[in-house]
Amino acid sequence: MRLGRLLYLMNLLELFRPPPLDPMLKVVSGVSIFKECSRAELEALKLHLHERHFLAGEIVFDEGEEGEGMYVVIRGKLQASRKGLLKKKTLGVIKPGECFGEMALLGAGPRMATVVAEEATTVLAMFRPELLSLAEARPRLGFKIAMGVALVLEARLRRLADGEAEEPSAT
Amino acid sequence: MKPLPDDRSLEHPIILVAVIAGALGSIVLLNAVAWLAFPLVLAVVLYYLVQPLLHRLQLSGVTPNQALGIFLAAATVLTVIAGLTILPAMLNSLSEFQNQLPEYWGRLQLVMRDNLLSLENRFAFAKKAGLAAGLQAQLDHFIAGSGKEYIADVAIFLLHWLPSLLLVPFLTFFFLRDGTAFHRLVLRAVPNAFFEKTLILFNRMDNQMRAYFRGMFGLTMLDTVSLGLGLWFLGHGPGIFGFWDAMVLGLICAIFAWVPYIGSALGGLLAVATVAVKAPQEGGLILAVVILFLGVRLLDEFVYTPMTVGRALRMHPLITVMMIFSGGMLGGVYGLLLAMPLLGIFTVLGQMFGEIWFDPRLRARYQARGILEKRLASKDLEL
Repeated sequence: MRLGRLLYLMNLLELFRPPPLDPMLKVVSGVSIFKECSRAELEALKLHLHERHFLAGEIVFDEGEEGEGMYVVIRGKLQASRKGLLKKKTLGVIKPGECFGEMALLGAGPRMATVVAEEATTVLAMFRPELLSLAEARPRLGFKIAMGVALVLEARLRRLADGEAEEPSAT
Repeated sequence: MKPLPDDRSLEHPIILVAVIAGALGSIVLLNAVAWLAFPLVLAVVLYYLVQPLLHRLQLSGVTPNQALGIFLAAATVLTVIAGLTILPAMLNSLSEFQNQLPEYWGRLQLVMRDNLLSLENRFAFAKKAGLAAGLQAQLDHFIAGSGKEYIADVAIFLLHWLPSLLLVPFLTFFFLRDGTAFHRLVLRAVPNAFFEKTLILFNRMDNQMRAYFRGMFGLTMLDTVSLGLGLWFLGHGPGIFGFWDAMVLGLICAIFAWVPYIGSALGGLLAVATVAVKAPQEGGLILAVVILFLGVRLLDEFVYTPMTVGRALRMHPLITVMMIFSGGMLGGVYGLLLAMPLLGIFTVLGQMFGEIWFDPRLRARYQARGILEKRLASKDLEL
């Protein structure tokens, strides 16, 4: 009883409350691929995230280029486009909290679109070999991310089957 | 490890020259700061050897830091146990060896003198040169002058290198603990245009280094066991080698074999000299040891090396031999041992640089970023 009261008091004093989550990780935790990840898993993931800053008009990656990285938008806006027969076809805009290039997490291959920053943009890059080594070290986290990617792809396939337009993040 | 495809060879002559110059320059640099470079190289090797163990521990559900803690605790316990059990036995063997040294030395001189005398009997030019007498004079001079001087030199050498060796576990610990953070720090300096390609190539380099060091470790173990068992099989009958003596000699020869071409020959000579000293009358046994070395060399070439290290380093044999000799000339034994690993590292770096720098699209993107930066900086200047 006394112990319970002591714990309650300590809790009141915020002694057991963990420090607030890193703002960037907060954005990552909102991305559908990482939604199932616990706080500890997100902290482990942080070690493998590379923060990159792009200027307005700067290319993140080109269509057809070999790619092994997925990106999460933290701040700013990007545009995805694909080469058409006569002119390039704009796929859409990618906003904070969204990710793009996640196909590269499944296997190295050519990028399916070109992504350009529309304004000054901050992204977090995650690289496939690093994800694989992380998944080897923490299989549970690896499984959650793999399932997350699979669910995103499943949703996209369903939308395509329903005749909806392509998503900008299908890069 | 997947071998590099042919199209990724060092096709640009400037890069090839830069790779060789970089490897040789590093040997000179590392030789100049050998006291620090030696533990650093050993720590990198240990890092690559220990990493898979930590991965296995992590697979059982512990966090990376816990895995490192468990490994450190186990390594400390094993070191203490080894120190308490193996060290006294080693000191005992050393003192025994020291007692027998004069006898071995005498036998070695005898074998060398007998061979030179028989050479003099067969060839007139050898007799004219007075090979046997010359060698005897050299040996007498060596024995008269060396004794105390060499012991003092060895003591100073040990005092000089001991603190350096103590750095090895310290450095390895921090490589294991902070390796990922350091990796990220280095990558932060890479421009956006080259970032993804650099990550891919960085990863390839890391895999190659891991495969190389682990492969070399496996190769050394296989060579040690093959040579050790062979020497023990040949030598235990006439009472020349005990099991552990043969294994230790096998290990020394396997370490010599790290230096391509020359190392194996030196190892073979060492084993033949050992047999010749221990049993000078057993001519057939010396021949058997030579055959054993040739056999293991063939096994090494056609079975062990493809199994372990692979053939990732596609270098012309002439460049390899020239690198070894140049490494030896610039950095002594140190240069001999480091020449090939350094050449390997610089080859991969050269490939990386070639792939990134000679990609016109990536360079254009890099230049475009520079233009965007300039435009942003001069936006309100009305130029």
